[in-house]
Amino acid sequence: MPDLEFKSPVAHGPISTPDGAVTVEDETVTAKIVVRAAAGTAAAADLAVPYGQSRLRADGTLVCGTRPDEWTLFAAVGRAAEVAASVNTEGFVNVIDITHGRAMMRVSGRKATALLAKVCNIDLADDMTPDGAVFSGSVAKVTCDLLRSDRAGEPSYLISCERSFGDYLFAALGDACTEFGAILPVGLDIH
Amino acid sequence: MTDNRLPERPGEVIDRGTSLAFTWNGQGYTGYQGDTIASALASNGVEVFARSMKYKRRRGIMTADHWDPNLFVQVGDEPNVRAGSRRLIAGMEVSAQNVWPNLKFDLGAANQMLGRFLSPGFYYKTFMRPRWFWHNVYQKVLRKFAPGGRIHWETSTHGAYDKRYAHPDVLVAGGGPAGMGAAIAAAEAGASVMLVEHEPELGGHLRWGGADDLAAIAELVSAVESHPGIEVLTDSTVTGRYDHNWIAVMQRSHEIAPERLIKARAASLVVAPGLIERPYIFAGNDTPGVMLSGAVRRLINLWAVKPGTKAVVLSANPEGEAAIADLESAGVKIVAALDVWAGEDIVEVEGKGRVDKVVLGDGRTVSADLVVIGTGWTAPTSLLNMAGDRPVYDPSAARYFSDHLPDNVLATGGITGNGTTAELVAHGRATGSLAASRALRVRHDRRVLAARARNPEGPKPESLQDTRTPLARVPHPECYRSSTHGMVDLSEDVSSKDLVQAQKEGFDSIELMKRYTTVTMGPSQGKLETVNAAAVLAEARNMDMADIGTTVWRPPYAPISLGALAGRIFEPIRRSALQDWHEAHGASPLLAGQWVRPDHYGDPVGEARNVRENVGIIDVTPLGKLDLRGPDVTKLLELVYVNKWQKLDIGRVRYGAMVAEDGVVSDDGLTGRLGEDHYLMTTTSSGAGAVWELLEDYLQTYRPEWDVHVTAVTGGLTSINVAGPKSRDLLLRLAEGVDLDSEAFPYFHVRRGTVAGVADCIIWRIGFTGELSYELHVPSGHALHVWESLLANGEDLGIKPFGVESQRILRLEKGHYIVGQDTDGLTKAPSAGLGGLVKLDKPDTLGLPELKAAYSRTDLPILVAIQPDDPQVVPMEADQIVHGDSNRILGRITSSRMSPTLGRSVCLGLVDPSVSAAGTTITILLIDGRRVTGTIQEHHAHVDPEGVRQNA
Repeated sequence: MPDLEFKSPVAHGPISTPDGAVTVEDETVTAKIVVRAAAGTAAAADLAVPYGQSRLRADGTLVCGTRPDEWTLFAAVGRAAEVAASVNTEGFVNVIDITHGRAMMRVSGRKATALLAKVCNIDLADDMTPDGAVFSGSVAKVTCDLLRSDRAGEPSYLISCERSFGDYLFAALGDACTEFGAILPVGLDIH
Repeated sequence: MTDNRLPERPGEVIDRGTSLAFTWNGQGYTGYQGDTIASALASNGVEVFARSMKYKRRRGIMTADHWDPNLFVQVGDEPNVRAGSRRLIAGMEVSAQNVWPNLKFDLGAANQMLGRFLSPGFYYKTFMRPRWFWHNVYQKVLRKFAPGGRIHWETSTHGAYDKRYAHPDVLVAGGGPAGMGAAIAAAEAGASVMLVEHEPELGGHLRWGGADDLAAIAELVSAVESHPGIEVLTDSTVTGRYDHNWIAVMQRSHEIAPERLIKARAASLVVAPGLIERPYIFAGNDTPGVMLSGAVRRLINLWAVKPGTKAVVLSANPEGEAAIADLESAGVKIVAALDVWAGEDIVEVEGKGRVDKVVLGDGRTVSADLVVIGTGWTAPTSLLNMAGDRPVYDPSAARYFSDHLPDNVLATGGITGNGTTAELVAHGRATGSLAASRALRVRHDRRVLAARARNPEGPKPESLQDTRTPLARVPHPECYRSSTHGMVDLSEDVSSKDLVQAQKEGFDSIELMKRYTTVTMGPSQGKLETVNAAAVLAEARNMDMADIGTTVWRPPYAPISLGALAGRIFEPIRRSALQDWHEAHGASPLLAGQWVRPDHYGDPVGEARNVRENVGIIDVTPLGKLDLRGPDVTKLLELVYVNKWQKLDIGRVRYGAMVAEDGVVSDDGLTGRLGEDHYLMTTTSSGAGAVWELLEDYLQTYRPEWDVHVTAVTGGLTSINVAGPKSRDLLLRLAEGVDLDSEAFPYFHVRRGTVAGVADCIIWRIGFTGELSYELHVPSGHALHVWESLLANGEDLGIKPFGVESQRILRLEKGHYIVGQDTDGLTKAPSAGLGGLVKLDKPDTLGLPELKAAYSRTDLPILVAIQPDDPQVVPMEADQIVHGDSNRILGRITSSRMSPTLGRSVCLGLVDPSVSAAGTTITILLIDGRRVTGTIQEHHAHVDPEGVRQNA
């Protein structure tokens, strides 16, 4: 297969406040692998991440305990097949490549939590949702999987949703960003 | 223009260095930064601010705060602005609202002469008959008298509203001394605190107090503001407390929106609203110049405005006494200082645009331009009521007190009793500690239970006992009405005489009286009126106040604008990976559920014709797609579909229809077997989410022992239907690894392969158009490449994209029904023509008992193909099928279009079985009243019923 461009549903570059307090950026172009594994399988033991938490593996793969019997693995785009193949499929285990099925964006900066509080009703306090926490919730009325993945000591959240909502969700996060001083590019408007 | 501005006051909140110019009814004025609209106008000598709702009586300042019923004004294009609390801004265009022709001479004031006819229930009694008058006369006339300002929505620059969520451990409603004490103590205990204050500044009643009060504020505010665990929201109101301490906060102080709704989930709610001063009922009590003691103290001490020159003061409490001192310090002459405890009273006030004379209880008449009332306090127990409390009246203190509260709601401050500033703060602090201890125990449990949370560092916090020393209930006279009658509800123009009359008419319970007279139903929401209304009723019925009860205070505590309730408008839109292309190529958008889709590209009929003649491609991504894996998938399919699935070979596709437990058709679609334990199920576009939920529901609750994993892949696989006699020719140019020969890859089969260089595509030999067609499911990140490759490689084959409308034409020609369009919420499987598909001998299927019952019936409607006898008549969808010339309904048209292939109209319809036989002539009642005939067809398919084209 020739090297084809992977098209993200988000057609806009990062949105940032002038003071850098918060940035919203598209990270759809990421390999995403879902592992469904029953308790007691080798895969479940190997992944070794409890539901609600995450771990960065030495090979750069981020393993998230998305549901009690489900993990989502994130890696650099192009590594999907390799990451999928790394899962032990002995027993009732299924590995599904959802790279194309999910849009993903990152909200980061010292105002990131305040921004999310405008669109998400989850308690994002540090003790309830610490760095590494994995959870699901409604973000601007879209069902999303979220991961708190701090950067440089500041809050940072990876938010993934069904791909077809990606364009809308990015616009909604951009809209929330305006409170903190961001100027939106023309055409990015949810109203 | 009178200058009522006083020399500098110790606690004034105005910035005399910043003058603000504004207009009032078109005339220019100036105020200071920090002024309210009302204080700025009062400082300029304005005395009349509004006309009352019904009688158009002149009204002036009464409470000089948010609750003032007389201070609703129009500001620019914003109606109903509360001038008592809205801060002045330079350039404001303020005007009186609901006056005609103007505030000074309002012709509506003639209603005062008709007052005896405008009694309670006037509208109910007067505008009932004749009935046709309601629409033609009454409604039009009454609208002209509707209260409130004007909305200029077409030119409004009001801005968008906003919303956010919050999860404080402790939410404190009220930023007075007790509230601040509670917030500080709760924060010191380690709780996160949201402190909400109705007014623009913290401090409560201390703000208009003396030097000691101001010093206390400074100390408390400093402690609040320096604690990082306290979020302070001023000019914000806790408008509702709902189950499980879901608290609504309306923030008016945020710079990005006129109002912002904060949805807070608090572990503990501390209610510390203080007390609201109560008006007194006597003749002329709504005359401009009659003010409550708090109003004159606020005007003097906060905004340095002299409220009058000669005052009569009626006082029953220390705050009334303090008002006298403030008035004297402002140079107001006290004409009479009346002590309620000594039996002194005010009987009547005279004066039109302003108080002129005051008749006292001892019969004397004195000249004054200001009457100050300090006769009692109402406990605003709304939030307590919302928590299930039913406050009890205490006659010794002349107000209501809480009876019983849940553990997660606590009260403090004036609402619980009286005290010095130190006592209020101490009670607040004790309450804050208690609230925090309860909240932190909740938080501990949440951290233990939430998978994502950090485990608690220590053991569960101890549960503190409630050892608070209650605040005292200082005796206060029950002081509600003088010997004369006056206004009870100044918002609604309801007098005590009206209430007595209502009682005499039989509306003698407080709830009935409220609804009959509208007392307490104005924008003050009973804060000023409820207790007085109860007192008047108690007196009229010769009962104790405690036995009369009160109206129930429900949310909102203060009125909320509809815009704030709507908040930020989030309407998720789903877009396929090809939607940008569609829009760039002239597609007309169609909103189908959450999806935006190409309806057509300008010529839907031409697009449909091209599919029949050449080849077309359509984006059908919204088609629901569920990846099913596991050894028990077949069992799941057997359970949820009406047909059998045991013998589906790998590479084969089968149609499945789904019914709900009541036997009504709920969804349908095709499922292909991709591997030994791997299937791909498709659903209707609108039903995708519901079917996914249904599968998970049954797997998790009914058959947890089945090994099936369900993954929604709708957006990840962009679906492109390639349809038309030349579709195979086109795919031969782009597909790799797939034998497209008809025998090797026949209809209702599925393959995996590479298309236009994109691997892992799923290629289905299926279609909805009746043509030879293939449906490509392409990894969405590469979908645009495949779409454009199809167009580029099909140019010489006449390829064109087609939209949803063309597809609807084509599928109707072929007779394919759509669940939800050709069926409805009552259409059971036999009606949809599922016939032999349904297998009643299966051991278990959703809706099986109802299916068996349905198949034993002969009276169910039948879905049939219909052709109008006049081929040019296209009935509308939902046109009724009737019996001959009668209006007896025999069915309806469910789908209809002009068929470009046949050159005639074609339909599907649900009809009574008596007229469902092929060849039967039916009568269709068109929407314009005409009746046309049509003929029932033998097959659902109007075009190619034998399936030659799709099987080519």
